[in-house]
Amino acid sequence: MYMILLSVFFPILAGVFLLIRFRTPLSGEGNASKRKTLVTLTGCFLVVTALFTGAAILTQKEGVTLFYLTKTLPVYFEIDRMGTLFSLLALVVLLCAGFFSFEYMKHEERESRYYGFYLLAFGVLNGLCFAGNLITFYLFFELLTLSSMPLVLHTGSKEAVMAGLKYLFYSLCGAYAALFGIYFLYRNCETLSFSAGSALKASAVAEQGGFLLAVAFIMILGFGVKAGMFPMHAWLPAAHPVAPAPASAVLSALIVKAGVLALIRVTGLFGRDFLQETWVQTAWLGLTLTTVFMGSLLAYREPVLKKRLAYSTVSQLSYILFGLAVMNEEAFTGSLLHVLAHGFIKAVLFLCAGAIIYKTGKTRVEELRGIGKEMPLTMWCFTIASLGLIGIPPTGGFFSKWHLAVGSLKSGLPVFDVLGPVILLVSALLTAGYLLPITVQGFFPGADYDYNTLQKKEPCGLITVPILILTVLSVLVGLFSDNIALAITAAGL
Amino acid sequence: MIVSVILIPFITGILIPIIPFEKRRQKEIFLETAVVLNSILVWYLLLHHSDSTFLLAHFTGNLSISFRVDGMGMVFAGLVSALWPFATLYAFEYMTKEKNENVFFLFYTLTYGVTLGIALAANLLTMYFFYELLTLVTVPLVMHTLTREAVLASRKYLYYSLGGAAFAFLGLIMVIVYGTTTDFIFGGVLDPAKITGKTDVLLLIYVMAFFGFGVKAAVCPFNSWLPQAGVAPTPVTALLHAVAVVKAGAFAILRLTYYSFGTDFLRGTWAQDVVMAVVMFTIVYGCSRAVKETHIKRRLAYSTISNLSYILFGAVIMTPLGLAGALTHLVFHAVMKICSFFCAGAVMHQTDRHYVHELNGLGYKMPCTFGIFTVSALALMGVPGLAGFISKWNLAQAAVESGNPLAWGGVGCLLISALLTAIYMLTIVVRAFFPGKDFDYATVNDAKDPNWKMLLPLFAFTLCIIGFGLRSQPIVDFLLTVANGIE
Amino acid sequence: MNFICNFPFFSILLSLFSGTICSVLPAKAAKVVNRVVIAVIGLLSAILLLYLLSVGEPFVYWMGHFPAPWGNEIRAGVLEAGMALFFCIIMYLSMAGGAHKLYDEVDESKHNLYYILVNLLLSSLLALVYTNDMFTAYVFVEINTISACGLIMIRQVGRTIEAAVRYMIMSLLGSGLLLFGLCIMYDLTGHLLMSNIKESVGLLVANGEYQIPLIVSIALMCVGLCIKSALFPFHAWLPDAYGYSTVSSAAILSSLVSKGYIFLLIKIIYRVIGFDNFNSTRIIDVLFVFGLMGMIFGSISAIRENDIRRMIAFSSVAQIGYIYMGFGMGTQTGMVASVYHILSHAATKSLLFIAAIGLTEVSGGSRKFADLTGAGYRNKWAGVAFTVGSLSMVGIPLFSGFISKLLFAQAAVQVEGKMLASLIVLGISTVLNAVYFMKTVIRIYTAAKDSPYGGMTFGKMKIYAITLIFFMLVNVLLGVSSQPVVDLIWQGLTMFS
Repeated sequence: MYMILLSVFFPILAGVFLLIRFRTPLSGEGNASKRKTLVTLTGCFLVVTALFTGAAILTQKEGVTLFYLTKTLPVYFEIDRMGTLFSLLALVVLLCAGFFSFEYMKHEERESRYYGFYLLAFGVLNGLCFAGNLITFYLFFELLTLSSMPLVLHTGSKEAVMAGLKYLFYSLCGAYAALFGIYFLYRNCETLSFSAGSALKASAVAEQGGFLLAVAFIMILGFGVKAGMFPMHAWLPAAHPVAPAPASAVLSALIVKAGVLALIRVTGLFGRDFLQETWVQTAWLGLTLTTVFMGSLLAYREPVLKKRLAYSTVSQLSYILFGLAVMNEEAFTGSLLHVLAHGFIKAVLFLCAGAIIYKTGKTRVEELRGIGKEMPLTMWCFTIASLGLIGIPPTGGFFSKWHLAVGSLKSGLPVFDVLGPVILLVSALLTAGYLLPITVQGFFPGADYDYNTLQKKEPCGLITVPILILTVLSVLVGLFSDNIALAITAAGL
Repeated sequence: MIVSVILIPFITGILIPIIPFEKRRQKEIFLETAVVLNSILVWYLLLHHSDSTFLLAHFTGNLSISFRVDGMGMVFAGLVSALWPFATLYAFEYMTKEKNENVFFLFYTLTYGVTLGIALAANLLTMYFFYELLTLVTVPLVMHTLTREAVLASRKYLYYSLGGAAFAFLGLIMVIVYGTTTDFIFGGVLDPAKITGKTDVLLLIYVMAFFGFGVKAAVCPFNSWLPQAGVAPTPVTALLHAVAVVKAGAFAILRLTYYSFGTDFLRGTWAQDVVMAVVMFTIVYGCSRAVKETHIKRRLAYSTISNLSYILFGAVIMTPLGLAGALTHLVFHAVMKICSFFCAGAVMHQTDRHYVHELNGLGYKMPCTFGIFTVSALALMGVPGLAGFISKWNLAQAAVESGNPLAWGGVGCLLISALLTAIYMLTIVVRAFFPGKDFDYATVNDAKDPNWKMLLPLFAFTLCIIGFGLRSQPIVDFLLTVANGIE
Repeated sequence: MNFICNFPFFSILLSLFSGTICSVLPAKAAKVVNRVVIAVIGLLSAILLLYLLSVGEPFVYWMGHFPAPWGNEIRAGVLEAGMALFFCIIMYLSMAGGAHKLYDEVDESKHNLYYILVNLLLSSLLALVYTNDMFTAYVFVEINTISACGLIMIRQVGRTIEAAVRYMIMSLLGSGLLLFGLCIMYDLTGHLLMSNIKESVGLLVANGEYQIPLIVSIALMCVGLCIKSALFPFHAWLPDAYGYSTVSSAAILSSLVSKGYIFLLIKIIYRVIGFDNFNSTRIIDVLFVFGLMGMIFGSISAIRENDIRRMIAFSSVAQIGYIYMGFGMGTQTGMVASVYHILSHAATKSLLFIAAIGLTEVSGGSRKFADLTGAGYRNKWAGVAFTVGSLSMVGIPLFSGFISKLLFAQAAVQVEGKMLASLIVLGISTVLNAVYFMKTVIRIYTAAKDSPYGGMTFGKMKIYAITLIFFMLVNVLLGVSSQPVVDLIWQGLTMFS
C-alpha cells in the first residue's frame, strides 16, 4: 500500500529537500566536497526511487485512495498495465539520464536546482503513470509541466527563459483545454476512474452526443499539446534543445509521452465506440498525419543537431498518436511499441548529442564531420539508434511502424487507411534523410579530412554507459517485439 | 452581542488617536488585542448563533436596521474575522515606513466593523447602509499617502462606489415596493401577486442594481477604480481591495440575487444572460490587463478584477451549486489573493521595488516570500491540490450542471483566464528565480526576507491554501448547505 | 376659539412689527430683537403644532371677523405649523452661523437694515405659509421678493448688485405671471379665498366650462412660482444671487425663500385647484420633465463650477428639480416626498453654505477649489459639517438626503409611466452629486503643503461651531427618525384637501 505512495512522494520530497538544502550556488572554489555530497545524495535518491517504483509495480495490486479533494474527487492511485509500461520506460530513461547528468552537469551553474527538479519530475511522472482516475492524472499532468519547466530554463540564457515560458504556456493552454473537457466528462461519466473503461452515461450520449464529441476533440487537442501535435507543436522545438542534454532526453523521451498516456486514458474514458467513425477521429487522424510529415520535413531542414532531434520528436510522437487515432488493436499495439522504442531511441540520440557537446562543444550538423572517428562508441550508439528510428529491422522502430501500418490498412477507414501508411513511409525516408548523413559524415569525413588533428575524445563511463544501456534496450525492444506486443494485447487495452 | 462585534472595532478605532500611547508597541498590543478579541467574539457568535433577528432601530416605515447570523453571513463574517488579525499584524510592520499611522489604523479598524455589518445585516436596507458606510471609511485609507495619485484614485473610487450605490439603491426600492419584506430570505422575497406584468421592469432594475453593487466587485466596465486604488498602503490593498471591500460587492450581489430577487424569478431571463455575458467578459478582460500591467500591485489588482468575476459567475449561474461555487471562490480567493498581495507588499517594503522587471533574482534573497508567492500563484492558476482548483472545479461543475450553453462558454472563459493567470503570475516567479545567465547578484544584496510579523501571516495563509486544496470537503459541504438555503 | 389659534396671526404681526422697530434700534439691539423674534415665533409655531396634533384638524382664523367670502382668512394645519417651525429653526441657525461674516461683508451702518429685511422676509414667509387668501399671498410674495433682493444687495460688491437686479427682474416676471393667473382665476370664479375658489373650480370642472382659461390660469401661476423658485430652465438668476450674497442671505434664500414659493404652489395645488384637477392637466408632465432636466443639468453645471459657493448654488437647481419631479408624479406619495425634500434640502443646503464659508475663511477668503486644499484640516468643524452636508446630498443612509431619495424612489415606482425615467434620473443625479460634492470633500481633506493660511480653533468660533453642530443634528434627526416627520406631512397634506 505504501510502496505506490513512496514511489511518488519520496522523489518529490527528496527533490524539495535538495532544493532547500543546496539553495546557494555551488560554483566556485572549495565547493567540490559539497558537490560530491549533492551528487551522491541525488544518486542515492534516484536509485531508491527506482527501487520503490519497481517494488510498487511488483506488489501493488489494488488501488490506493490518498484523500478526497472534494467529496467526489478522490486522489486515487492504481497500477494497471498501461501505467506499468510507461513507468518502466520512465524508470530506465530517468536512471540512465540521471547518471549521465552527474558528469554532464559538472560545470553548470546551480546544479542542485537541476537535480531537485529532476527528482520532482521523477516523482510526478510516477504519479502520472500510477494515477487511477482522470483527476489524479490531471493533477500530475499540471505538476509535470511545472516541475519540468525549470529543467528547460535551467541554463538561464535569454533563449532558454523564453523557451521555458513558451513551454509553460503551451502546456498550460493544453492542460486547461483538457480541464474544460474534464469538467464536462465529470458530469457525463459514471466515474472518472480508468479501470472501468468507457464510462460515458448512455443518457448523456443520447442527449448531447454532438456536444460531447466536441468536448472530446477539445480534450484531444489539449492533451495533444503536450505530445507536440500540430497545430500546438511550436513549443517543442523551442524548449527541448535549450535544456541541458540529459534533460532534453528526458523531455523528449518521457515528458511528451505524458501527452500520449493522457490521450490513451481519455479515449479509454470516452470509449472507442463513441469516437470511432466520427468527425473527431477524422480530424485527429488528419492532424497526426500532418504533424508526422511536417515534423520530418522541418527536421530535415534543421542545421542544429538538438533542434533536428526535437523536430524528429514532433514527428515521431505523432506516429504514436496516429496509432491511437486509428482505434484498432493492431495500431494500438504499434503505438505502444513505438512509445517504448522511441523513448529509448530518442534518449540515446539526445544523450549522444549531449556527449558531443560536452566533449567538443559542437552543436551544428555540418561541424560534425569526422566525429565518428573522435568518439566512435558514442557515434555507434547514435547510428544504431538512428537506424531504429528510421525503422530498419530488427530494431524496435521497424516493428512498431509495421504494426501501425498494418493496423491502418485493416481499419477500413476511408482515405486514411492508405494515406496513413504512405505518409509514414515518406516520413521514414525523411528520417533517414536527416539522421543518416550525420553518421555518414561522422564516420566517412571524406578524403580531405585531416587525420593528423584527430584526437580521441571518448567521454568517461558515466556518460557512455547510460548511452550503451539505452541503445541495447532500444534494440531489445525490436527483438522481443512479439512478446511485448502479446503482453500488450493480453492487457486487453 | 451581535451589535457589539460591530461596535468594538468602532470604539477601538476611535480610541486609537485619542489615547496617548507612549510607545508604538503599546498601541500595537492594544489594537491587536482588540482585533483578536473581536474576531474570537465573531467566531463565538457564528458557532453559537440563534436564528433570531436583532432589531437595532426602526428606520422609516417598515424598514429597520437589524442583524442576523445566517449561512451566507457566517461565511463572509468568518472569513473577514479570520483574516483581519493577520492583516493587522502585517500592517504594524508595513506602516513603520508610512506617516499618519493613527488615522490609518482608525479607519482600518472602522472598516472591520463596517464589513462585519455588511456580513451580518439581516435585511437589504441594513446592508445598503453599511455598504455606503464602507465606501466612506475606506476612502481615507486609499487617500492615505495624500500624493496627487492617491487623491485622484480615491476620488475615482468614491465616484464609482457612490454612483454604483445609487443604482443599487434602485434595486433596494424595488424590493421594498414589490417584495413582501426586505429581510433576506433564501429564494427571494418578491411578491408574486405584485409583480405580474412588471417582470421586464424588475429585470431591468435588477441589472442596474447588479452593476451598482458590481462597481465594488469591479465588474467591467466599472473596474478602473480598483487598479488605481492600488496606491494605498499594501495592507489596505491586500485586505480591502482583495477581500473586504470588493468581496462586499460580490457578497451584496449574492444577497440581492439569491435572497432578495430570488433565482426562480431571474433564472433563464434575459437579465441573467446580460449579466453573465458581462461577467464572462470581465473574467477574460481582467486577466489580459493583468498580463499587460507591469506594476506588481496593479497587476494583482487586475487579477482581482478577474477573480471577483469568477465569484459573480457562480452567482449568476443562479443555481444552488452556483452559489456554492461562488462562496467557495469567495473564501478561497480571499486567502490566495491576500497572500500574494502580502508577498508583493513584503517585496515593496523590504526592497522598494514596485515593478515586475525589477524583481529579477530576488527569489534567492527572499526565498520565503517568493516561495509563498509561488504557492499563491499556483493556487490562483488552479493547480490541483491547492485551493484555487477546488473553487474553480465547483464553479465549473455548477456551470456544466446548469445546462445553460452560455455558462458552458463561461467555463471556457475560466480556463482562458487560468492560462492568462499563469502568464502574469509565473512570469514574476520566473524572473525572481531565473534572472538569467549574466545576472549580477550584487544588485539584490540589499534584499532579505521580512521579519516575523510579516512572515507569520504569509505562512498562515500558505497553510490555508494548501489545507483548503487538499481537504476542502468540510468547508465545501458547509457552503453547500448554505447554498441550498438550509443554514 | 382657543387662544392658541391666534398664534399664526401673532407670528406674522410680530415679525412685521419687529422689522419696523429694528429700523430705529442700533445694530446690536436689532440683532438681539431679531433673534428673539425668530425664537419666539419658533416657539409659538411649536406650541401650535402640538395643539394641532392633539386636535387633529385644521382651523380657519378670520381676520377682523368678516366671514367668507369677504373676509381675509388664515388657515393653520399641521403642515403649516410644522413648516413655520422648521423655517424658524433654519433661519435662526442660518443667522447665527453667518453672523460673524456679516460684520466683514456688510457695512456697519446697514446692519439694522439687514435685520429689518430678515424680519420682513420671515413675516412674508409665514404669511405665505398660513394665508388662505390668494391676494394676500400675492402681496406677501412681493414683499418677499423685495426683502430677498435687499438681502442679496446688502453686501455691496458689483456682482451682488448685478445679481440682485437680475433676481429682481426674474422675480417680478414671476410675480407678474402669478398675478395674471390670479386675475384669470378671479374672473372665472369670483373669489379670492382659497376654499371658495376651490369650490367654484370644482363646479367648473364638473360642468366642463371654461376649460382653456382655467388651464391657462393654472399654467401661469405655476410658471410664475417656478421662476421664483428657480426651476430649471428658469434658474439663471440663482447662482450669482446665492453665490455672492453674504452667507446668511445665501443660506436663507436657498433654503427658505424658494421653499416658501414652492409651499405656496403646493397650497395652490391642493387648496385652490384641487389635487385631482391639477393632476388631470398636462402641466404635471411638464413639471416632471423640467424637474428631471433640472436634476441633471443643475448637477452638470455644478460639476463644471470652480467656485465652491456657486457650486452649492447650482446644486440647489438640481435639488429643486427633485421637488418638482415629486410634483410631476401626481400622486400623494410623490407630494409627500417633495415636501420632505423641502425640509431636508433646506436643512442641508443652509448647512453647506454656512460650512463653505468657514472653509473659505481659512483659505484666505478664496472660494476657488485650488485654494481650498486642506481647508478641512484648518477648520475642522466646517470640514466635518461640509462632509456631513455632502453625504446627505449624495444620499447616504443616516442623513436626511437618503430618506428623501427613498421616498422619491418609492413614489416613482407607483407611477407606471414615469417610473423608469425617474428612477434612472435619480440614479444618474446621485452619481453626479457624488462627483461634485465628493470632489470637494476630498479636496478639503487633501493636505496642502505649506499652506499660507492659519487654522481656526473651536475657541475662535464658538457660535459658528455650535450652529454647525445644530445643523448637523437637524440633518441626522431628519435622517434617522424620519417616520414622525413623514407621518406629519401625510397628515398635513390630508388636512389640506
